[in-house]
Amino acid sequence: MLKLPQSYADRKHFLIVGALVVIGTIVLGFFLLAILPIKAQASVQAEPIRWLFQLHIWLIAFLFSLVVVFMLYALLVFRRRKHDDSEGEHFEGNTALEVIWTVVPLVLVVIFSFIGVQTLRGATSGGDEVQVKAEGFQWSWAFSYPNGVTSAEMVLPVNKPALITLQSRDVIHSFWVAEWGPKQDLVPGMTTSLHITPTEIGEFQLACAELCGLSHWSMTAKIRVVPEAEYTAWMEEMLAAQNTQTASR
Amino acid sequence: MRLTSLGLVRGLIGYFVGLAVGMAAVVILRLAFGMSAWDQEAVWVGGLISAIIGFLLGVGAMSDWLKWTRGIETPLHHGPPADKPAWTRYFGVDYNHKVIGIQYGVTGLFLLVVGGSFALVFRTELADSGISFLQAGTYNTFLSMHAWVALASILLGIGGIANYLVPLMIGAEDMAFPRLNAFAYWINVPAIVTLLISMLFGWDSGWTAYPPLSLLGPVGYQMVFLAIFTIGLSSILGSLNLIVTMLMMRPKGMTLFRMPILCWAILATSIIQLTATQLIGQAFLMLSFERSLGMPFFKPIYDAAGVNIGGQPILFQHLFWFYSHPAVYVFVLPGLGVISELLPVFARKPLFGYRWVALSSLAIALVGFLVWGHHMFTSGYQPYLRVVFMISTLLVAVPTGVKFFSWLGTLWGGRLTFPTPMLFTLGAISVFLIGGLSGPILATAATDLFLHDTYFVVGHFHATIFGGFVFPFFAAIYYWYPKITGRMYNETLGKLHFWLMTPGFWLMSLAQMTAGTMGMRRRIADYDPALGVENVQLLVTIAGFVIAFSILIMIYNLFTSAEIGVLAGNNPWRSRSPEWQIPSPVPEHSYAKPIAVVGEPYDYGLAGSSYIAMAGAGDD
Amino acid sequence: MAAVTTTAQAAALHHDTHAGHDNYAAQLRMNRLGLWLFFISEAFLFGGLLATRFFLWGADTRPELDQTIGLIVTSVLLISSVSMRLAETAMERGNRRAFSIFILLTALFGLIFLGGVMIYEWGLFPAIYKGHLTPWDNKYGAVVFAMTGMHALHVISGIVFILIVWNLARKGSFSPERHWGVESCAIYWHYVDVVWIFFYPALYLIGNVVHIAAH
Ligand code: HEA
Ligand code: HEA
Ligand code: CUA
Ligand SMILES: [Cu+2]
Repeated sequence: MLKLPQSYADRKHFLIVGALVVIGTIVLGFFLLAILPIKAQASVQAEPIRWLFQLHIWLIAFLFSLVVVFMLYALLVFRRRKHDDSEGEHFEGNTALEVIWTVVPLVLVVIFSFIGVQTLRGATSGGDEVQVKAEGFQWSWAFSYPNGVTSAEMVLPVNKPALITLQSRDVIHSFWVAEWGPKQDLVPGMTTSLHITPTEIGEFQLACAELCGLSHWSMTAKIRVVPEAEYTAWMEEMLAAQNTQTASR
Repeated sequence: MRLTSLGLVRGLIGYFVGLAVGMAAVVILRLAFGMSAWDQEAVWVGGLISAIIGFLLGVGAMSDWLKWTRGIETPLHHGPPADKPAWTRYFGVDYNHKVIGIQYGVTGLFLLVVGGSFALVFRTELADSGISFLQAGTYNTFLSMHAWVALASILLGIGGIANYLVPLMIGAEDMAFPRLNAFAYWINVPAIVTLLISMLFGWDSGWTAYPPLSLLGPVGYQMVFLAIFTIGLSSILGSLNLIVTMLMMRPKGMTLFRMPILCWAILATSIIQLTATQLIGQAFLMLSFERSLGMPFFKPIYDAAGVNIGGQPILFQHLFWFYSHPAVYVFVLPGLGVISELLPVFARKPLFGYRWVALSSLAIALVGFLVWGHHMFTSGYQPYLRVVFMISTLLVAVPTGVKFFSWLGTLWGGRLTFPTPMLFTLGAISVFLIGGLSGPILATAATDLFLHDTYFVVGHFHATIFGGFVFPFFAAIYYWYPKITGRMYNETLGKLHFWLMTPGFWLMSLAQMTAGTMGMRRRIADYDPALGVENVQLLVTIAGFVIAFSILIMIYNLFTSAEIGVLAGNNPWRSRSPEWQIPSPVPEHSYAKPIAVVGEPYDYGLAGSSYIAMAGAGDD
Repeated sequence: MAAVTTTAQAAALHHDTHAGHDNYAAQLRMNRLGLWLFFISEAFLFGGLLATRFFLWGADTRPELDQTIGLIVTSVLLISSVSMRLAETAMERGNRRAFSIFILLTALFGLIFLGGVMIYEWGLFPAIYKGHLTPWDNKYGAVVFAMTGMHALHVISGIVFILIVWNLARKGSFSPERHWGVESCAIYWHYVDVVWIFFYPALYLIGNVVHIAAH
C-alpha cells in the first residue's frame, strides 16, 4: 500500500476533480472544434487529415482539462487561509505515481504514432489517372498536362485520382490548396509530387505556402474542379487552341 | 566623468573605426589582386568582421587575454571601479557574475521590447486586409527582424537568469571563467548592432533564411548571418562556462541531486547550446560563403547533361533545424526550471519528484536532438523520414508531461499564496500547456501537411515561447527583484500586468490558431478577404497591443520601485535556497565564507530541516 | 570609499592566491574540463562538415585529389603530433631547450601541412602548381574547400598558439609543475590532428573518383 498524506488520500477531492475534468473535456472539446474549423474537406486525402485533427482536439481537450482543473482546484482548496502560518504537507514524491504518468503518456504516444502512420498513408497516397505538372516561379504558377496542353489555371476532373508533379524554377515554393488538405514544397533541383483526388466541384485557390520573396503573399492561381465531361471538353478545347497556335506560327 | 570612460562607448567607437578600417582593407586587397574595388558582399563582410573585433578591443573584453599572450599577469578585479561612479561598471567589462547577469538580463529585456515593437508594426498592417503602409518587402524585413531580435532576446534573457543565479544557487564565488563570461556577454553587443544595421538594407526570408531565397536578396543577409554566428559563439562559450561551474564549483555536500532544480534545467540547456549551436553557425557560414564566393552548397547547378553538380536546398534545412529545434528547448528549459523552482516556495511544499523533474530536463534535451525533421515534413525529403521524425517528436511529450504532473503534485496539499511571481508561474503553466499540446497535432505528419506554414504554427510557437520563456522570465524578474535591488516591486502594478497580459496572450494565441485552420498562410503581407479571417486578425492585433501595454507597466514598475519600493529584507519569500540566506542586494562577494549543504533543497514543511549551513567566522 | 575599495581589492588578491597550490590544482581541473567541452562543441562543427560531405557527394563519389600530396601532408601532420608530445615531455622535465626545438618543429610541420594543402590542393599559387578544383564550380570544390578550409583555420590558430607559448617559455614562463599553457596547446594540436584523421578518408579515400566536365 502506498502511504499518502491526507490530501492525496482523500477520495472526495478526486471524485470532484474527476467529474470536473469530464465536464471540462466536453465543454473545451466543443469550444475548440468551434474555433478551429479546419478547412480540409474537399479531397480524399483531406479526410484522414480532418479526422486526425479532430481526434487530436479531443486529446487536447482532455489533457488540458486534466491539468488545468487539477491546478485550479488546488489553487482554490489549498490556498492559504487568513492567519494560517503552517507549511504544506511534507511529501516529496511518489515513484508509483511518477511511473504511471510516464507510462500512460507513453502508451498514448504509441497509439498516436500508429494512427499517425495510417493517416499519413491515407493523406499521401492515391492514383495517377490524371497527371499535371505544376511549375512554380517567383511569383506565379504554370501548369502543363502530359499531352502538351499548358495553362495558367489548373483544371481537374472530380473524383479522379490525380498526380501533381511539382518543380520550381528558382527558389522554394509550396503547393497548397487549403480545401484539399496536404501541401508539398517545390524544391529547386528535385521533382516532388502530390496525390490529390478532389471530391468537390468548384473553384479553389492555390496559394504558395513557403515564403519566396517579395510577392509570396500574392503567388496564387485558380484551380477548377469540374465534372469529368466538362474536363474532357476543356482539354479538347485547349488542345485545339494550342494546335492552331502552333500551326499559325 | 568623460564619456569614453564607459566601455560601451569605447566599444561603439571601436566598432565604427573597425568597420571603416575593415572595409578599406578589403577594397585595397581587391585592388591589389587586380579585382574591381567595390563588391558589396565582400566589402561589407570584411568590414563587419573587423567592426566586431574593433568593438571587443574598444570595450576591453580581450585586454587580459592579450596581456597573457605577452606574459603579463592580470589579477581578477572585484568590486566597482575605483575612480568612477559605481553604475558605470554595468556599461563596461566587469568580471562579477552578478553584474554580467544584470547586463544580460537588461539587454534581453531591451531586445524583447524592440522585437515586440517590430511585431506591433507589422500587426498594424495585418489588422485588416489590403496593403496600407508596409510594402511587401518591408513587411518581410519587419517580420524577419521581429523573429531574430525576439529570439536573441530569449538567448540573452536566459543568459541573465543563468549567470546571475547559478553561482549564487550553488554557493560558488563566481563563474569558473570570469573573463570568458564577460567576453561571452560583450560579444553579443556588436552582434546586436550588426543585426539592427541589417534592417537598413533589408532581408526578407523570415528567420529560417532558407536558400535559395536567402542567396538572392540584399546584402542585409550577410549582416544577419554574421550577427547570428556571433551570438551563437556567445551561446557556446557561455554554456561551456556554466557547465564547468556547475560540475566543478559546488560546495561540500551539494551532490548533483541536491542542486536547486533550476540548475538542472540550465545544465540541460547548456548541453544543447554547447553542441547544437555549431550547426547553425556552420549553416549560416556556408550561406555567407555561397553568397560571397559562390560556393554551391545549397543551390543546384546543372552540367551540360542536366545533372545537378551543385548543392541541395534541403541540406540547409537539415543543418538549420538540427540547431533550431533543440534551440526551442533552450528557450523553454530554463523557464520550466523557474516554474519548478518557484512552485515549492509559494506552495510551502517540497518539489514533487525532484529526481524525475531533474532528469526530465535532460530527457527533453536529449530526445530534442532527434526530432529536427518535423519542420520538414513537406520539404520533399525521403518519405520514410516523416515516420521517423513523427515518432521521435511525439516522444518528447512524455518527459514534458512528467514535469506538468509533478507540478500538480507540488501544488496539491500546499499552502498557496499568490503574489505576482506565483501568478506568472501559474500563467506560464497554463500557457505552456496549450502550446505544448498543440505540438503533437503538428507532429503527426498527416495533420502537419495541412497545418505547416499556417498561422496555426504561429499560434503554437507563440504559446510555447510565452509559456516556456516570457511568462517564467517575468516571474523570475519579479521573484528575484528584491534580491537584486533590495526593494520590493509594486504588487498592484505587478498584478495589473499579469491580468492584462494573460487574457491578452490567450486571445492572441488562440486567434492565431483559428486563422491557421481557416487557411491563413504564414509570412504574408496581405491576405484575401475571402478567407474570412479579418476579424480574427484584428483580434490578434488588439491582443498584441494589450500585451505590449502590460509590459510597459512592468518596465515602469521595475524602474520606479528600485527607488521607492519598500525595503524587502533578506528573504521576503521565506525560501530555502542559498541566495536568499545572504543580504539583499547581494554583496560584492556573495558568500563571506564557503557554505556547506546539509539537507535537501525543498524540504518545506519538515520541521527543523535546513538546506545549507553557513560556515562560522574563522572557520575556513 | 577609497579605503573600502582597497580592502575589497586586497580580499580579491587574497582570494586569487588563496591557499596557493590548491587553487592552481582546482583551476587546472576546471581548465581541462573547459577545454574538453570546447572540443565536444567543435566536434559538432566538424561532424556537420562530414555530414555535408556525405549528403552532397553520397558515399560513392569523390573528386580527383592528389593522392601523393594527401598522403604526405597527412603523414607530416601525424608526425607533428609526435614532436608536440616530445615538446610537452621536455617541458615536464624542465628541459627548455628541447622544448623550444620540438615545439618550433611542430609549428614547422604544421606549416608544411598548410603549404601542401594551399599550394597543391587549393592551387593558390598557380605559378607553382595548378590545382584541380575551384570552390565555386561544383559541389566537389565547395566541400573540399569548406572542409580543408575549416581545418586549415584550426591549424593556423594552432600555429599561432604554438608561437605564443614558445615566446612565453623563452621569457621564462612555465615550469615542470605549472604549464597549463603548454598542455592546452598540445591537446589542441592533437585534437586538430584527430579531426584530420576523419577528414582524410572522407576526402581522399571513400567513394570512386568522378570526373566532371568543365562547363
Ligand atoms: C519554445 C519553444 C517550443 C517548444 C517548447 C515546442 C514544443 C513542441 N513543438 Fe514546436 N515549434 C516552435 C517552438 C516550440 N515548440 C517554433 C518556434 C516552431 C516554428 C518554427 C518556424 O517554422 O518558424 C515550432 C514548430 C513545430 C513543428 C513544425 C510545424 C510546422 O512548421 O509545420 C512541430 C511539428 O511537429 C512542432 C512540434 C512540437 C512538439 C511536439 C513539442 C513538444 O515539445 C511539446 C511537448 C508538450 C506537451 C505535449 C504538453 C504537456 C504534456 C502532457 C500533458 C503529457 C501528455 C501528452 C501527450 C501524451 C500528448 N513544433
Ligand atoms: C520571443 C519570441 C517572440 C515574441 C515575444 C513574439 C511576440 C509577438 N509576436 Fe511573434 N514571432 C516570433 C517570435 C516571437 N514573437 C517568431 C520566431 C516568429 C516567426 C517569424 C518568421 O516567420 O520568420 C514570429 C512571427 C509572428 C507572426 C507571424 C507573422 C507572419 O507569419 O506573417 C505574428 C503575427 O501575428 C507575430 C505576432 C506577435 C505579437 C503580436 C507579439 C506580441 O506579443 C508582442 C508584444 C510586444 C512586446 C513584447 C513589446 C513590448 C513593447 C513595449 C513595452 C513598448 C512599446 C514600444 C513602443 C511603442 C516603441 N509574430
Ligand atoms: Cu512562392 Cu511563396
Ligand atoms: Cu521543432
